Parts: sequence; C-alpha cells; structure tokens
Amino acid sequence: MTITVPSSILQSAERAFPFGPPVLELESISLRFGGVQALTNISFNVLEHEVRAIIGPNGAGKSSMLNVINGIYVPQEGSITVAGERLSEMTPTHAAHLGIARTFQNIALFRGMSVLDNIMAGRILRTHATFLEVALQLPRARREETENRAVVEEIIEFLEIEHIRKTPVSRLPYGLQKRVELGRALAAEPKILLLDEPMAGMNIEEKQDMCRFILDVNDHYGTTVVLIEHDMGVVMDISDRVVVLDYGKKIGDGTPDEVRSNQDVIDAYLGVAH
Amino acid sequence: MTTGTSGLDTFPKLLLHHSRERGERPAIREKNRGIWRTITWRELGEEAAALAVAASERGLQRGAHVALLGDNRPRLYVAMCAAQWLGAIVVPLYQDATADEIATSIQRAQVTHVFAENQEQVDKLLEILPRCPTVRCIVYDKDRGMRHYKQPQLVSYDALLQEGRELAAQKPDFLQGEVASGKGEDSAFLFFTSGTTGPAKGVVLAYAALIDRARLAAAIGELKDTDVAMAYLPPGWIGQILFGYVQPMVVGYCICCPESPDTMLSDMREMGPTYLLVTPRVLEALLKQVSLRIEETGGFKQWLYRSCMAVGARMSEQRLAGKAVSVGDRVLSLASDLLIRGPLRDMLGMSKVRVAYSASDAIDPDLLMFFRTLGINLKQLYGSTETGFFVAMQRDGVIKPDTVGAPLEGVELKLTPQREILVRSPGLFREYHADSEMTARAKNAEGWFHTGDAGDLDQDGQLRIIDRMAYVGALKDGSPYAPRVIENKLKFLPYIREAVVFGDGRDMVCALIDIEMAAAGRWADRQGVSYIGHADLAAHDEVYALIADCIAKVNAQLASEPLLAQSQIHRFTILGRELSADDGALTRTGKLRRHVIAEQYRALVDAMYSGHAGVRFGAEPDEVKIRDAKVTAPAQTRKVA
Amino acid sequence: MPDIWFFIEVLVGGLLSGIMYSLVALGFVLIYKASSVFNFAQGAMVFFAVLTFVGVMELGLPFWAALPVAIGVMVLVGMATERFVLRPLVSQSEDTLLMATIGLSFVIEGVAQLAWGVDVRNLDLGIRDEPINWVMDKTGMLISQLDITAGIVASVMVASLALLFSRTKVGRGLRAVADDHTAALSIGIPLKHIWMLVWATAGVVALVAGMLWGARSGVQFALVWVALKALPVLIIGGFTSVPGVIVAGLLVGASEKVVEVYIGPKFGGGVEVWFPYVLAVLFLLVRPEGLFGEKIIRRV
Repeated sequence: MTITVPSSILQSAERAFPFGPPVLELESISLRFGGVQALTNISFNVLEHEVRAIIGPNGAGKSSMLNVINGIYVPQEGSITVAGERLSEMTPTHAAHLGIARTFQNIALFRGMSVLDNIMAGRILRTHATFLEVALQLPRARREETENRAVVEEIIEFLEIEHIRKTPVSRLPYGLQKRVELGRALAAEPKILLLDEPMAGMNIEEKQDMCRFILDVNDHYGTTVVLIEHDMGVVMDISDRVVVLDYGKKIGDGTPDEVRSNQDVIDAYLGVAH
Repeated sequence: MTTGTSGLDTFPKLLLHHSRERGERPAIREKNRGIWRTITWRELGEEAAALAVAASERGLQRGAHVALLGDNRPRLYVAMCAAQWLGAIVVPLYQDATADEIATSIQRAQVTHVFAENQEQVDKLLEILPRCPTVRCIVYDKDRGMRHYKQPQLVSYDALLQEGRELAAQKPDFLQGEVASGKGEDSAFLFFTSGTTGPAKGVVLAYAALIDRARLAAAIGELKDTDVAMAYLPPGWIGQILFGYVQPMVVGYCICCPESPDTMLSDMREMGPTYLLVTPRVLEALLKQVSLRIEETGGFKQWLYRSCMAVGARMSEQRLAGKAVSVGDRVLSLASDLLIRGPLRDMLGMSKVRVAYSASDAIDPDLLMFFRTLGINLKQLYGSTETGFFVAMQRDGVIKPDTVGAPLEGVELKLTPQREILVRSPGLFREYHADSEMTARAKNAEGWFHTGDAGDLDQDGQLRIIDRMAYVGALKDGSPYAPRVIENKLKFLPYIREAVVFGDGRDMVCALIDIEMAAAGRWADRQGVSYIGHADLAAHDEVYALIADCIAKVNAQLASEPLLAQSQIHRFTILGRELSADDGALTRTGKLRRHVIAEQYRALVDAMYSGHAGVRFGAEPDEVKIRDAKVTAPAQTRKVA
Repeated sequence: MPDIWFFIEVLVGGLLSGIMYSLVALGFVLIYKASSVFNFAQGAMVFFAVLTFVGVMELGLPFWAALPVAIGVMVLVGMATERFVLRPLVSQSEDTLLMATIGLSFVIEGVAQLAWGVDVRNLDLGIRDEPINWVMDKTGMLISQLDITAGIVASVMVASLALLFSRTKVGRGLRAVADDHTAALSIGIPLKHIWMLVWATAGVVALVAGMLWGARSGVQFALVWVALKALPVLIIGGFTSVPGVIVAGLLVGASEKVVEVYIGPKFGGGVEVWFPYVLAVLFLLVRPEGLFGEKIIRRV
C-alpha cells in the first residue's frame, strides 16, 4: 500500500536549518551472523539537519543497518564516524551519550509505566543529581526535576498527547504507542534520531500525523533524522536523500528523484510487488 | 454591585473596571503543558491594551470587523478585548469551519484583521486569501510550523504583543481615548448563526443588549466574582461568548480553558466549575459514558446504581411536585448520594456546580431529569443568537421538565395563531449584517422578532417549545407531528447517537438511525459479533435487532401519550456512516439540517416508504437494510396514573 | 499488666521482626527487577556476608574496620556475579538464570565454609538482647534492645533503598531495565552498571540482614534458610514492588506473632512457622499479583 503526503504537510524549499557537514559516516560496513552475510561493504553518510531514509525490500538489511549505527550489532568490518569522532566499536550506551536516540520497529516501551514516566525516562542522561541530592531535595535535584518535566511537557504538547499523559502505555492503541516512543527518543534532545519503520502498521491518518511530526521535529529542532521505511510513497515525500539496500548491498543513494530513476532500484525494489 | 457600574456600557470599560477593582483575581486560567496558569484581570487588561495599540498601528479601525478563528485559549479572549478596545466588531467563527465557510463569512463581513490560533487555521486562511482582498493582517498565536510562512499579512501574536508593550507606554492617552469613545449602542459582535435552513445569517448585537441580558441572568443565578466557569464550547456560538466573555465581564468571574478537547473531563474535575453551560449534545455524550461504565461493572454495582438513581428520581419528582418528602426517603437519599450520586458528580467534574444551564436545543425531559437526579441543578434556557440568548429559563423551585420556564424580565412574548413565538426584548439583535430586507422580515416595525419556533404557554405562564415552525406538521391522517420530540427520545438511548424521523404529510413515521459507535461497538464485543468499522457494524442483523428493541421501547412511550401515539416509528434503517457537519448534515453546533439530509438520503427515504423490510438499496456504498419496527397499540383505555 | 500492653508488646515484637523480613525480601526484589530472576543464592549471600564479617573480626579488626571490609567483599561478590554469571547468560531464558543462581548458592556456601570453617560463632554487636528498663518500668512490656536496634537499622536501610530505587536516576534506570532491556539501552542506561550496582546492593543488604539475625541466633549455616522467610513476603507484596514487600514484611511479622500468641495454643503452638505460608496461599488465590504488584494489562 502506498500513501501520499498532502502537500500542506510538506515543507517549502527554504530550510530553517541548512544542511551542515556529515554528522554520521559509515565506511565499508560488513556484518555477518554466523555464515549469513547481513550487510556487505556499505558506505554512506548523513548530513547534519537532513532527513535520510534507508529503504529496501524485506530482508534487505535495513534494520541491521540501524542496529549497527546505535551499537546493538558490532560489524566485523568497517567504521562509524559520529560528528568527526571515528569509533572502532559502538555500544548502545555510547551511542546514547553521543546524542543518538532511536525508536524500534516492534515498539519497545516501558510497559509498566505511564506515558509521562516513559518520556521522563528518556531524560535519564540529562539527569545528574546524586542519591544524596535527591534524598535531601537539594537545589540541583529540584531544578533538574523541574527542567526535565518542562522539556517533557513541551514534547507532550508537540506530539498532541496531553490527554493520555497519565495513561499506562500498555492500554494505548498502537498508533499512540508509536508516538509515545518517538516522544521518549525526543526527550533526550538527540542530535540524530533513528526511526525504525515509524509508520509500520498505521492507518493513513496516523501515517500522515507521523509524517507531520517527523518533519516538524526536523524543522523545529533541526534534528537529523535517519529513518527506515517500507512505504515508498512516504519516504520519497519526506526524505532529503535515500539509501537503497538490497540483499545487504547498497544499490542506490541520492535524492528521491535520482533514486526513483535508478534502474537497479527499479529492478530490485519497485519491480517487487508489495 | 450595580452601584458604580452604570457607566460601564462596553466591555473595554468593564475590563478596566475589573483590573482596578479585582486586579489580582484570576480572569482566565489555562492548562498548558500540564500546569494551570493564571491570567489576572490586571494582566488581561495590560495585554489587551498592548495588543490594541499594536493592532491600531496595523490599521485596525473603529467599526471594522475582526474575525477570530481558534479554540478557547486566553489569547483568543485577549484578541477579543483588544479588537473591541478599538471599537472594532468581533466576528467569532467556528474553529472547525471549512475554508469555504470561512471565506463566505469574511467576505460578507469585509473582515480586515483575523486572529488565528495555529498553523491549521492559517493554512485555511491563506487558501482563501485571494478571494478575500479585505484581509490586511493575520495574527497567529502558536508559531509551530510557521517558520516558512513569509506572506506579508502574517504577524505572530508574540511579535505584535512585543510591539504593543513598547507603544502602550508611549500612548496611554490614545488608549484611554479609545475606551471612552465606545458607547453601549455600538455593535459588539457579529455572529454567523448556524442556520438549520438556508445559509448562515450574520447577526449583529450591540453592547447594550448583551450587557443588559447578562446582568439580568447574573442576578438570577446570584453570580459572584468567585464563580468559575469552563470555556469549552465553540467560541463561534453565542452561548460560549455569553458565558465565557460577556458574563465574566459583567460579574468578574474566572473562566478555565481546558488543555485540549480530549482532556476536558479531567480538567473539569481539577477546576471544579460552579457555573456551567451545557448543550443537550454534551449531556447525551456524558450520559452515554456513564451508562457504558455502569454496564461494564458487576451485577451488585449495577443494582446499587439503579436503586440509588430510583431513590433520587423519586425525590426530585416529589420536590418538583412540591410534595413533602418522607423521613425514610430522606435517609435513603442521603445514602444514595454518598454511595453513587456524589461519586458520579465527581466523575463528571460537576460536584461544585451551583447552576447549570442547558441551551442551544430542546432537551429530552428524561435527560434533564437524569442530571437533576444526580443532584446537579440543571435548568433549561431558551434563547437564540437574535434574541440575546436569554429569553426564558427555568427557575429554582418551579421546574417543569417539558417547558423551558417563564420569560425573563423585560421579555415580552406573543404567539401567532400558527403558534410561532414572537419576542420583544432589550436583548434583541440590531440587524442582520448588511441585509435590511431580511432584518425587516424577521423583526417588524414594533420590534417583534419572529423566532421561527413553535410553542405555547401553559397555565403557569411557562413556555413550552414544540419544534422549529418549519418542521411542525401533520401526518396524512391529520394527527400533529413534531419530529424533534421523537428524535430526542431516541437519542436518550445509549446506542443511538443521532436520529432523523420523517412523517410530515406521510401516512406513517420512518426513521434514519445513526448508531453510537462506542456503545454499539462494546455491545458487539460482548455479544461476540465481529465487525470491521462503522459501516460493517451498522449493517449487522444483530445490530438491527438491538435498534429494533430500542425503537420498540420508544414506541411504547409514544403510545402512552395521546398526542404522540400516531407518531410511532413504523420503519427504520441504520446509516452506514456518521451524520457530520463536514458534509452539511449537521450545523456546527450539531443540529440537524433536515433539508440537506432529506436530499442526501432521498432515495433511501423513498425506499422506506414505498418498499418493504429487508430491501436492498444500491446508491449507498454498502448494503442498506430497511426494517419494520414493533408498534404498540395506542393506550386509549389505559392511562398511566 | 493490662491486656492492651501485652498486645502491644506482641505487636511491636512482630513488627520489628517483620521489618527484617522486609529487608531480606528487598534483596530479592531488587534482583528480580533488574534481572528477572528469583535469586536462589540470596540466603547463601546472607550466610557468606555475616561469616565474612565475623571472620574478619576474629582476625583482630575492630567492628568499625571489619564493617567496611565486609561491605567491600560483598560488593566484589555482587560485581563478580554480574561479570561471571549474568553477563555470559544475557538473553537466556529465566529458567536458565534460575538454575545459575542455584549453582551460585552452592558455590557461595562452599567458599564460605572453606574460608571460615563450619563452627557456629557468636556475633557480639555490643547491644544486649535484654528488655529496655524504662519501658518495662512504665508499661510492663518486654521489648528487647537488640530488637529495637535491629528494627531501626532495618528501617533506615529499607527507607534509603526505597528512595534510591524510586526517585533517583538509578531507580528510574532500574525500572526501565525491569520493563525492557533493549529500550533501556537505547536511552543510554548502562545495563551492566545497573546490574552490578543491584547485585552489590543485594550483597550489602544480605550483610546487614545477616548481622542482625546472627547477633540473635548465632552465625550458623541455618542462616541460609532466612531466605525462606522472605518467600511469603514476596508473594504477598509482589515480586516487583518495593513498597509492597515493606508492607508485606510488616504484615507477616505482626500477624504471625499475634496468631502465635493468641491462637497458637489451640493448635499446640508452632503456628508462626507455617502461618505466613497459609497467608501467602490465600493471597495467591485472591490477588495473585500481590499487594502492589504490577498488574500487567494485555491488549487482546
């Protein structure tokens, strides 16, 4: 199924945050699981403030790519450079410290907590008060708590989820859970936001909402977005540049128009009926 | 109270009065980002002054029209104050109006300045801007997503306020002068009424008319500046403006803006309003929520609920009938209040409500009594935009559920031989905007206004509304027919959201039913009926059986009333999708637009009259069924004592 | 002595031992929240901890020097457990983890006896197990100094742990880890640090519990079974709830003593041994998620 994004959601050509230097560079990444070659010699970069999509048919290695970027998988070969810092091995914790936040294809929320607590949890790296400061309610602990709450409330307003603030996330419908997960990622005030199929399983209206949120985040906070999506229509509408993977190999890279006219991509992806 | 307020004949004057008299008391509270924030009367006055002076720099002039497009937020009300400060006439529009509807209003009122809440509203305005050359300036409140908009007409509220704050300090005399040159007979508002027939009419109301009616209603309700009201109904409707702007201006009480429409109930619980305006639609929705919750609880709780409500109902009836209540009943009533009615009032956020009025449309007596039984002092209020809203209201101690109460002071009522209600009152509108012909047709030379409502006065002088004149008619056999009474009875049932009945000039009454998805959906879940979406559920035989039961109950009620016995519903069909304002079937306040519906569903209605039960109908996307309903023999011999 | 004073005496005694149950149960809850495993080795840790403490004192160190040493050893044990038992078993099933803790308990018991021998020792904390005089004079109640001290120490410990794991960064991290490992990692929670911290804390809790119990009944192998006392507390309070086990500990302590004194004689005594389990079974029937346990709502 393909949907198109109404033109009113799309940004005009003028950008609030012009593209900067590459904030994320992947060089010759190869990843194997046992004998299975998941990714082969993949290189691409992501510019500051851009919306970069990774697309490809099922099993093309899109999720593996995202998991490499935030350190869940460690590639056998290749290197990752984040904001000029070249890393031989990335861990999820390190990625979070570098300002990389993410969402998951199969929603990974803290199911026992409310929406508010889930998004508050996203602030954990922005919290520094020690046990004693909290116990004695010293100024720093109180100030941090207030600041964190203010940031979280801004996100709640941004995502229009005021009405479910106190609701346990396990009671929410799927589309709203996805939104809360985005909220938790935003709470860390990330430089780079990784979105793993943010629109999977949504109806058209929810997809349009999600598109609007993604573009607004990019536009309002200047956050760099890397997203995986299955739905070609959406990707072409909201991304600045697109990487196309097929069987773990990169077969295309460029603006949506370039990718659309790339014969390899047409054969591998568009030729496949979905 | 009235001493010293006699010269205060416009809202800007009243605003300055309050910022002097009760400057540090709250004027508007708003829940924003999870916290209630307060704007005092002094702050409201200062912000309005700043905005006024900045708007004047941008060419806003006395007598010009300013449109407001947004939900109930403090800044909408500040903009209202600022526009009137300069003697401009405020045109509040419905925030969910389509671009075309907005264009029509703006063109007709020749609006020069617009206040828009957010990007969504600005987008609609920009779309119609080429058609609306009079618009010089669009002020937007929330800047989210507005970064790329470069149209010269656009200015952010924050920027305008900033300009104004600097200018206001330099030009205090200008601001004082502008307030002083306003007079009571000036036009204050131009409302576009949600006409159930024909296009919207532009109703112009003067300060004097609004302030006169508001003062009177405030005196009857014994309102004080410590009262609290919720601002949650559409600002395009006169009712919201009266309860959220005019009466606060007269009395000095505080309004609370909920965070979003979805958080309304919990926000209301937090603020505990004491003065409340509701519409039958809101009450129906609340009642359906309550019924749903009760149905989902266990047997004991359901029994408890029914017993407590029965005790409450008996008490209310005895009280209304002026009978003494026995000691035993009083004890039972107290207990039921502690166990069920009190907690329910809390749940609805109405535990502190002293007075609540239901307006905008006729309310089903059972619905009214339900809330009165809960212990909420809910009363009917009759009036329209043209009549300054306050024409008649039920008074404490003399409430008859099927009337709207006695006319208020200053109101003269007259009935035509066709039973149309004519009103003469200080609250009457000045004119229909730029349409002297229509004004003359509606308001005659002696100042009598034709309301278009049919009604009668009972022996106690209480007014009973039958229906819109246009809809009152007769069945083929000559028995009287008024659709709204029947529809309200249907809508009182939890599974029916909206009903449209037909019968004028016909040999029997038929109905289109719009099911309440939430309730019917949960019913279907419990019954194990699987469905995909509204249309599918609406077409299920089980749902038809459920609705047939509901209609049979209503028919039994109708049969017991001699005047209505012939109006029993003989045949019905369930609509595959909701009736909505967006396709014109309802007005923005949720009233039926019968001619539109009759047109949209003409083939279906014809099929109901000509065809027979179970017929298939091709024009609708899905299969539509038509069913016969069970009709009860009219109870001529037996009458309920 | 009036009956009411006697009742209060029984109740206070019960509450004081109850808070110690809470303390032991808290060790279980922390580990359960962090690693989703019922730590079978908790009893062994209690035994090992207090044995280490006594052993160090026997080497000639004074109380205030022996305490940090014992704490240090327990922190090391906790960290070693994380490094050598849990980390290799990441993403294994809960059954595997349970088996691992059973194995761990044998290792710890073995090491303890190997290092410090098998004799029963006395632990003298300098507080005598005698009634407080002025309370006895005033009211006739017999309330032991040791019990009061133990109660106070346990309360402070429980309160600070509750605070640590509810309001602070570590606490939020722990709750997040308990709900979803992957998500917790993605927001920057260092899973390994949290595990280490939790196991180290569990070790310190074991030490305190062991000392308080050991001072009463001697330091002996039977301390391993203290853990069994925590089981009904866990069931009643809920495996994941800190406030739950605090309340449940007090409830179990107070009720078992009251039942023993007032109803016990009818059964020929010894009721307090089995009463908590009966209570726990009742809870399993009525409220399987425990007093404050999280009721997991599953969407259909």
